[in-house]
Amino acid sequence: MANPPDLRPGLTRRAFLGVAAGVAAFPSIAAAVRDVPPAKRRMLQVNGYAACAETPLDALTTYLTPNDLFFVRQHWIPVAPDLKNWALTVDGEVGVPLKLSLGELNAMPQTTVTCVLQCAGNGRGFMKPVVPGVQWQFGAVGNARWTGVRVKEVLLKAGLKGTGQHLHTFGTDKPPGKVPPFFRSLEMEKVLEDGVIALKMNGEALSLLHGAPARLVVPGWAGDHWMKWLERLSPQKDPQKGFYMDVGYRFPNKPGDPGVTFKPDEMSPVTELFVKSNITDAPKSARVGQTVTLRGFAFSGAPDISKVEISADGGAKWKNAVLDPEHDPYAWRLWTFPWKPEAPGKVTLWARATDSRGSVQPKEAVWNQSGYLYNAWHSADIEVTA
Amino acid sequence: MRQFWPTSILLGIVIGGTALTAGWTQSPKAKALTPADAKLPIFGTRLEVLPEGPGKEIADQACMSCHSTDILRQQRLSEAQWTASVNKMVGWGAEVPEADKSKLVKYLALHFGPGNDKFQPVVTRPIGR
Repeated sequence: MANPPDLRPGLTRRAFLGVAAGVAAFPSIAAAVRDVPPAKRRMLQVNGYAACAETPLDALTTYLTPNDLFFVRQHWIPVAPDLKNWALTVDGEVGVPLKLSLGELNAMPQTTVTCVLQCAGNGRGFMKPVVPGVQWQFGAVGNARWTGVRVKEVLLKAGLKGTGQHLHTFGTDKPPGKVPPFFRSLEMEKVLEDGVIALKMNGEALSLLHGAPARLVVPGWAGDHWMKWLERLSPQKDPQKGFYMDVGYRFPNKPGDPGVTFKPDEMSPVTELFVKSNITDAPKSARVGQTVTLRGFAFSGAPDISKVEISADGGAKWKNAVLDPEHDPYAWRLWTFPWKPEAPGKVTLWARATDSRGSVQPKEAVWNQSGYLYNAWHSADIEVTA
Repeated sequence: MRQFWPTSILLGIVIGGTALTAGWTQSPKAKALTPADAKLPIFGTRLEVLPEGPGKEIADQACMSCHSTDILRQQRLSEAQWTASVNKMVGWGAEVPEADKSKLVKYLALHFGPGNDKFQPVVTRPIGR
């Protein structure tokens, strides 16, 4: 692999020019776009219709994932919202139902959060036994700056009642035939704490494939909660009903052995991401005594990563990788690990992360029938010569 | 790194592909195509052809009205898993006459069964390019 880019944040000349030109509000946005080399700027399309694609791991090397390399997942064919007439409806357990135009949302206090978005099914393709669905590998994940209005601001403006314990969310995409719509809900406590109605992604207006004009951002939680093409928020007493709440996006309360399936009532909705690290850059070969560098990212449903470790002996001994200082709550940490091979032969280096709550990435992911939240140790094979 | 899909350019498998309309793939600030981009299909290219064999005509009719072929071609499911998937889709409106169901399941399990290692994602341009 080619030498990785310099990951240090800072106002380089080119980044400065980007800011000066109004390209980006943050220097590292321009830097992120600059730093993925042209040869690595591509997508791995896993479905043509509805179009879904993941990012190749070797393009996930920057703190902010460029918008045009950020994974896309959609259940149905999206319906392009009419921006002139688009409005976000807020109803349900509120005192004053609202219809907020894009202009009104833009006029409200704006906030920016930087955090990981990962598809609940990222890594499904590695589940054994095999499970049906899009066979994602590593790249249905990215880290971005999301700018918009806190959900709390909107709900307070609408006079949220104490009875509104679950926020029902609705997007404009419509399924074919008798297929159930992709409607979701999430607990009000989490929404009020962290939820954002994002209008911008890395300083640009959201693209249609990423949910324009507005999508929900739920830092630390899996992508199924991040409703795209948002058109309605409705606080309710109870969770939303429907296939994508009652059957889909559920994880076993007490997981069984691989292959053991559960009934929906023995499972609960997928919420927090599991701690996970991936290797994005490793040499295929190295020489004894010469230091090479591994790079990667790590994230969790907890706000931070406390360490990433590398093992060259299958997990008996671990050494700490160096965490990059750039960080925001629920964002990923980039890391590097200098490694000096001591003897010739094929070596497998394993990476595992530990989050700020002490959860450790497991050697094997928890098998579940829908293939959610895969987070097994990741490895790179390196051929060491004398 | 453990990866079962090589990331080589896979133009050869894009047969008769159509693509999403530009409106869905353009980012708000679409950038000029680089020479490297121009060699790749755009994101949203559809793979249209299922493998020949008994049952293909049922799959074409029942599955392709809502899906492109790649969602089928990437599966590695047993006959029991395909039966469950077909039943789920029939419940959601897929038109499969009862008499055709077992032929469809056999077709799917034969081509996209546990031994299926043929699927590779389409390497495309960045989104909106």
